[in-house]
Amino acid sequence: MHATLSALAEPNRLQIVELLSGGPLTVGEIAGRLGLRQPQTSKHLRILSDAGIVEMRAAANRRICTLRREAFLELDAWLDNILRIWDDRFNRLDEYLRELQEKGNGGKSSS
Amino acid sequence: MASGETGKLKILKAEGRELVIERVFDAPRQLVFEAFSKAEHLKRWFGPKGWPLTVCNLDFRPGGVWHFCMKCVDESQEFFGRESWGKVVFREIVAPERIVYIDAFSDAEGNVNEDMPVALVTMEFEDFEGKTKLINRVEYPTEDKLKLVMEMGVTQGIASSWEQLDDLLAELLRRG
Repeated sequence: MHATLSALAEPNRLQIVELLSGGPLTVGEIAGRLGLRQPQTSKHLRILSDAGIVEMRAAANRRICTLRREAFLELDAWLDNILRIWDDRFNRLDEYLRELQEKGNGGKSSS
Repeated sequence: MASGETGKLKILKAEGRELVIERVFDAPRQLVFEAFSKAEHLKRWFGPKGWPLTVCNLDFRPGGVWHFCMKCVDESQEFFGRESWGKVVFREIVAPERIVYIDAFSDAEGNVNEDMPVALVTMEFEDFEGKTKLINRVEYPTEDKLKLVMEMGVTQGIASSWEQLDDLLAELLRRG
């Protein structure tokens, strides 16, 4: 998860990922659409590939890049976990605030 | 989902390295803010079910530290006996509207665990029809750190080629 976040913490790579979410593209197409030089693009794609976010395969004399859903499922699961922690926590805060306010009302308890 | 529904967690944003959630509490803002600012209150709600705060050293002021431990005391849980230490450093406190802090994993001695992600948390408390709306933003400032490093690299001439800069950045990111 940390590796995914690190790989995405670069504006060009984030843009590459957003581009690929629309479907597979060749390295050349990615470079063209983002206005990057090909070697730079390849470098970013290598980092994304190492982080398991992008998959690359050779077809004829081109390299085709695809987004791997699995990396995002992991990120999603992690986000999901953080959300659940805060949801639980806020539910407990909610109950506690009710208690505090009821005590303030002379200890009357509600059903 | 209607805005401001009491009791429901609303996700305002969840992308990349930022999470923004909203929750309405049926209590006045003063009280909700207080629940975040006193150890005696935090101990009553902060830890998950079965994980009370066994340690809660709170110095609630800008620059102050909150060092705490959540311990699993529920025998039925998988992590029974496990301890989870946290270290919070407060950046900004404006009562009763805002708390900004750095949230990190820690150990019993108060050392920050550099292998785990560190978050910048901003909590905003708003008056809302006699209740309180809390907007909680959790951010991982990796991109800022990266920009700073790139700027440093260029002005100090550390990186003579893209290759070296890439390696430097990777190393710094790894170190957190």
